[in-house]
Amino acid sequence: MEVQVTKELKQEIKVLILESLNIPDVTPEDIEDDASLFEDENLGLDSIDGLEIVMALQEKYGVRIDDQNQARFILKSINTIAEFIAKELSKK
Amino acid sequence: MNKVNDLVIPFKHRMFAHCESGTVAGLLNHAGLEISEPMVFGISSGILFAYYKPPALPFPMIVVRNFPGQMMRGVSRRLGVKFKTARYKNQARGEQAIDALLDKGIPVACRVDFFYMDYLPPYMRAHFNFHFLTIVGRKGSKFLVSDCYSTELAELERDSLRKGRYPGGSFDPKGFLFYPVRVPTDPDIDRAIKKGIRAACFNMLRLPVPFLGIRGIRLFSKKIMDWPGMARNDDHLSHEVMKINILLEDQGTGGAGYRFMYATFLRQASERLGRPELKEMSERMMLVGDDWRRISIHAARMGKNRDFAEEKFRELSGKISRQADAEELFFTDLAKIARTL
Repeated sequence: MEVQVTKELKQEIKVLILESLNIPDVTPEDIEDDASLFEDENLGLDSIDGLEIVMALQEKYGVRIDDQNQARFILKSINTIAEFIAKELSKK
Repeated sequence: MNKVNDLVIPFKHRMFAHCESGTVAGLLNHAGLEISEPMVFGISSGILFAYYKPPALPFPMIVVRNFPGQMMRGVSRRLGVKFKTARYKNQARGEQAIDALLDKGIPVACRVDFFYMDYLPPYMRAHFNFHFLTIVGRKGSKFLVSDCYSTELAELERDSLRKGRYPGGSFDPKGFLFYPVRVPTDPDIDRAIKKGIRAACFNMLRLPVPFLGIRGIRLFSKKIMDWPGMARNDDHLSHEVMKINILLEDQGTGGAGYRFMYATFLRQASERLGRPELKEMSERMMLVGDDWRRISIHAARMGKNRDFAEEKFRELSGKISRQADAEELFFTDLAKIARTL
C-alpha cells in the first residue's frame, strides 16, 4: 500500500521527537519541515539524540535504521524522516 | 616530489557501513567478483566481542568485531583471493608505491588515522588509526579517495594522506597498504559461507580466552560495576561510559555492534544456500542488535546526564548479562545449524 508524505505524518513525527527526547519548551509548530535537526539554531540535537529518535521511530512505525551512515541522511530534517517512513511503510 | 600526471581509475565509488569490510568488498567488486559487504563480513567471521584492558591504557576497551586486517585475511583464506600487503618505513617510498600502482591502473587500499581525512566534516573525525580507504587516482597535489563514509569520490592532499598513514602513536599504520593480485572468477562462496559461520560460532562460544566471545560479554557485565572506582573523576567516568555508545554505534559498526550487519549476512546466506532456518536466525540476530542498541542508549544517557548511581550501573550490568545469555543461546543454535550445512 502506497503511503504518502502528508502534513499529518510530519506532525506525528515532530510530536514523537519532542516526546521521546523530552523537550517540553518546543512545540511541533516551532520545527521547520526542512530545517536541519542537528544545527544549534534549530533543535541542536546530538548523535545520542539521533539514536533515541532511531529507536522511537522503530517502536512506533516498526522500521529499523540499521546503520549510522544511513541515519546521517535520514535524520537530516523532518522532511527526510517523513520520506523514509512513507517509503518503508509502503513496502509493508 | 617528481611531477606526476593526473589520472582516475574507473573505480565504482559506493558508501558502505564499515570501512574494512567496505574497502575489501569495493576492491573485490572492482576486480570482477560480485560480493556484498555483509558477505565479506560474514565469510571472514567478523563478528566477535572482546573486553580487554591493554597494559598501556588506563581503561578497558570493548571490541565488537574481529581485529583490523582479519576481514581481508579471512576473505583471502576462504575465497582464495590473494592480496599483496606492504608497509613502508620511509614515507616518500610509501607514497611512490601508491603512485606506481596507480600508474598500472591498480586501486590500492591504505590504513590511516581517520582524523586527517579532511574531506569529511570535523564532527565526524577523531584520531583512530584503523580506518581503511582506497586510493583510485590523483589530481594535481591531491589523491582521489574512495572512502566508504564519503558520499562521493573525495580529494585529499598528499600531505594529509601522509599524515594519516604515518600518524605515530599506538597502532601506527606505518604506511600499510594492500590490494588484490589474484581474484578467482568463480570461488566456492557457499563453502566459504559455511566455514565463516562455523568459525564465528567457535570464536563466540569456545575460544579458551576469558575476555573473548560470550565470556567477554560476561566479563564486561561483571567489571562494569568496578568502573566508578577506576575513573579519576566524573568527567573521566562520563567519557568512558559514553564510549560504550561510540564503540557500539559510531565507529563504523553498521549499528548495534555489527550485529545488524551479521543479520544481513545470514539473510543473504539463507537465500544463497536455500536454508530458511538461516533467515530465522537473521531475524533473531536483528533483535539481539536492537538490545545492544538499547544498552548503547542506556550508557549514553548515563554519561550525558552524569547519572552514576550504583543502581544505574547495576541496571546496565544486568542488561549486558542478559545480552550474554541471548548471544550464547543464539550462537549455540547457529552452531547446530552450521553442523548440518
